[in-house]
Parts: sequence; structure tokens; C-alpha cells
Amino acid sequence: TFLPNRALLSLPGADEMLRSLAGPPPVPPVPVDCVRATELCAADAGCSSRYRTLRQCLAGRDRNTLLANRECQLALGVLQESPLERCRCKRGMKKELQCLQIYWSIHLGLAEGEEFYEASPYEPVTSRLSDIFRLASIFSGMDPATTSKSNHCLDAAKACNLNDNCKRLRSGYISTCSRELSAAEPCSRRKCHKALRQFFDRVPGEFTFRLLFCSCKDPACAERRRQTIVPSCSYEDKEKPNCLDLRGACRADHLCRSRLADFHTNCQATFQSLTNCPGDNFQACLGSYAGLIGFDITPNYVDASTTSITISPWCSCKGSGNMEEECEKFLRDFTENPCLRNAIQAFGNGTDVNLAPKIPNPAATVLPKAEKSPVLPDDVNDSNTAYDTSVISTCTSLQEQGLKPNQSKEQSLCYSQAQLTTDVMPDQKTFTDPKAGSSRQRESRILLLIPILIPVLGL
Amino acid sequence: EVSVSELGLGYESDETVLFRYCSGTCEATVRSYDLSLKSMRSRRKIRKEKIRARPCCRPLAYDDDVSFLDAYNRYHTVNELSAKECGCV
Repeated sequence: TFLPNRALLSLPGADEMLRSLAGPPPVPPVPVDCVRATELCAADAGCSSRYRTLRQCLAGRDRNTLLANRECQLALGVLQESPLERCRCKRGMKKELQCLQIYWSIHLGLAEGEEFYEASPYEPVTSRLSDIFRLASIFSGMDPATTSKSNHCLDAAKACNLNDNCKRLRSGYISTCSRELSAAEPCSRRKCHKALRQFFDRVPGEFTFRLLFCSCKDPACAERRRQTIVPSCSYEDKEKPNCLDLRGACRADHLCRSRLADFHTNCQATFQSLTNCPGDNFQACLGSYAGLIGFDITPNYVDASTTSITISPWCSCKGSGNMEEECEKFLRDFTENPCLRNAIQAFGNGTDVNLAPKIPNPAATVLPKAEKSPVLPDDVNDSNTAYDTSVISTCTSLQEQGLKPNQSKEQSLCYSQAQLTTDVMPDQKTFTDPKAGSSRQRESRILLLIPILIPVLGL
Repeated sequence: EVSVSELGLGYESDETVLFRYCSGTCEATVRSYDLSLKSMRSRRKIRKEKIRARPCCRPLAYDDDVSFLDAYNRYHTVNELSAKECGCV
């Protein structure tokens, strides 16, 4: 069942500490990733031989008979004391698949059998939505004019287009997902899913969440939101499979299985908290939702409704037979999930739960991060540090700051808008730089840079 | 920053994209080629062809593709839209 598993997950610290104090085997107080854990295990003769035995036990098709084997049970018992037992993986980590394979090779042995909900193999998410809002507000602060028009989904697309990494990976999946192969095959779903996974794994949440969970007041906005993942290729299909079949296919794949387990762990509706989310953690739920995109189980908005948000994977409970109830239950975790819905709405409204009174997790404390916030504007002006290396950023930042007079040496690299417009004329023969005199000593370098890039601001 | 519609490529979309272009004079990179060409033109040795006797500031490399959703909910991808590197050529 689900609850005992979660209880185990949510307090990783205390009893591990006790155990490590009690003596060998040393178990790190923080869950290590499973790749690292196998390295630790390999250094220990006993552990590594037991681990090999267990892998052999689980390699066979019939898990149950092999686990009835005494040797296998013994191996499992020993491994439960090792760092392997509590190891976790990180989304988008270097050897994610390898890590997950190790995780499941142990945990499939520990599990009682096919469970409805499985514990997530991923490290618990400790950051909060408010961290994203802080960044998002800086982004939107750059363009006060557009935010007032309030198509948040359009603003999100803009923010992404203005960020090199986001733009590159976004157009990466869009071009892959909308490339028509033939009349029969509108696109390569496999490649489209892969490109989507790259986008959601490698682009930070302040961009991806804004695109995916923007709040909408009109249908055009909601349709844009629905179109975010290019559903015609990544989501819709000729037929709607049965949801349990889809789950079965997903569980056959380590990566998909892990993402689904993560979704169930973080978005499982609970009625013990105000938000209906486990640990009141919206960010964790939204993150694991985004983690499902690009798999068989890819979820999306079912329509462009602005009032009610309905999410579903592309499946139905038709043909479930006597599993109808289980199928409905599975589907309801998407379609009628108050945690997921609250999380999406909270993100759209820019609200998060105030965690101040109870802080069980030290990493989630709000205070040190709040103190950092006055520093953040400096971070945004990071282009200052890029001044001498990149002409492009020099120009950008100068223009944004309205050409401050005290930055003379860089200024000689850029021309003001007025000078620029005249200079753009192709047959204008001469151009005199009024600042040239002041920057003689740099001339040798500047000469190479005289052809200059100046980004045009939206005028 | 310009909206996709303002690019004049025939797309209708409110999305904003970053447009970087090259500008500036290329006085410093005039080569013997340019000087000779200019001289020959002034001596009327070259008449008919359209020639350009001075280096010109153009993109040497372009930014990555840009994709956007248009007003009819169709995606488009445009390549070589925005300059990444400029030079006098």
C-alpha cells in the first residue's frame, strides 16, 4: 500500500543517522544516487556479491519463484542494509537511465507485486513555486507593457524566445513534432517525444512551467496552452488505448515507470492538507507532471476551456472488463485530481502556500532565500560580466540601460539608436564615431569589432 | 525584440522573437582589392556591371532556428532569421 512507503520516503534522515552511528555498514545520511551507491557497494566484497546474486534472481522472468529462493532472500536482506536500499535518482542526471535500472532492480524485489501506486525513485523536490515566481517576476519586469495585456501564455512564449537555451530546445521539439513525414504519417512520434523530453529536462522550470501552466482568460490563450506540446503529434493518436494497457506499457520501461511513480508520489490527492497535495508542495507536483511529457503516458489539456482545467493522458477506460474500477481510479488521478488542479491554478495565479509556521525540511526554508532576493537583480545584470567577451551582450545591456554615459569604453562599440538608423542606410558613405578619440589604445581590438550587432528593441 | 508579424515574412503571430542584425562601417577592412576596384571604376575601365568597391557588414553566422505558433494555431519554424556573428566581407 501507499502510505507506509511514503512515510519511509518523507523521513530519510533520522534513522539513517542512528544506523550510521551504530557502526558498519556506513549509510550516508542523505540518499545517494544509485550509480554512486553501486560504486560504494562494489568496494565492499559482501555487498557486491549479494548485489550480483540479487540481479540474477530478478533477471529471470518469474520473479516470484526466484524470490522464494533462500539465496535470493538472503541477498535482499543484506542489501536492505546497504546504501543501495535507499538510493534515489535525479531527474535529468547524467546516467539517469542507469540509475533507474539499478533502483528498480532492487525495488522490484522489495515490492509485494504489482501495486497501484509505486514510490518515486527520484529525490524529493525541496524547492518551492515561490522560487520560480521570483525569477518569473524578474522576467516579466523586463516588459511591463506586455504583461498588462494579460495573455500569459504569449508572455511565456516571449520569455522563452528571448532565452537562448529555451528558444533552441523549444524550436527543436516544435520543428521535430511538426515535420510531416508522409501523408500516412504526420510526424515521427518517437523523435517528437524525445525532443519534448529534452526540452522539459534541460530547460529550467521558470520557462517550461510558464508555457505549460499559464493562466488564461480567453479561448485563444487556452488553445495556445493546449498546443504547447504540439498535441497533434505528441498526444493524439488514431485510437484511444485502454488506460491500464497504457500503464502496462509504461511500466515496462524503466524511465516511464519512474516518471509515473514520481507523478503518483507528488500529485497524489490527499485530504490531509489544505492544498490536497502531499507536503503542500505544488512545485513537486508540477515538476512530476512535466516529467511525464514525452512518454506513452503524456498528459495534456483535453480542451481549450478557460474555466475548468481538465487533464488526461490519451486513453479511456473502454474495454477494461472487470478492471473497470481500477482503470477509472487511474484515470481520475489525472482528470479529477484536486492536487494537480490546485497546483496548476496556484501557478497561474502566482500564489504559493505560505510555509512559514511548519518547516519540516531544512532545504525548504523560506528565510535564507528571501534574504537572497535583493541580490537577484544583480544576477540579472549578469551581462555586466559578459561585457568584454561578447559584443552582443554589450549592446543589449547598453540599450536596456539607455546608454549610461559612464561606460565610455564599451560605448564606443555601440551606437545609439539615432546614429544607427542613419548608418543602416546601405549607401551612406561615411560614419564618424565621436568617441573614437577616447578609445585609441583599444583601437586595434575595436577595429575588428566595428561591424557591430545591435539588437533592435521592439519599436 | 520584434513580433513575428512585423518580420514581414507573411506569418501572422503575436509571438515575440529576438532579431539581431549587423550594422556598422567597414572602413578598417578595406583591402587592396577594394582600392583597385575603386580606382578602375573611376577610370571608367569597368562600366556596366554593378560592383561594390567596399567591404560590407553582413552576418557570418546565423542564430538557431526560431519556432512559433501562429494565429491559426499552426507551428512554423524559420531558419537563418537572426545574426549570430558579423563581419566585413
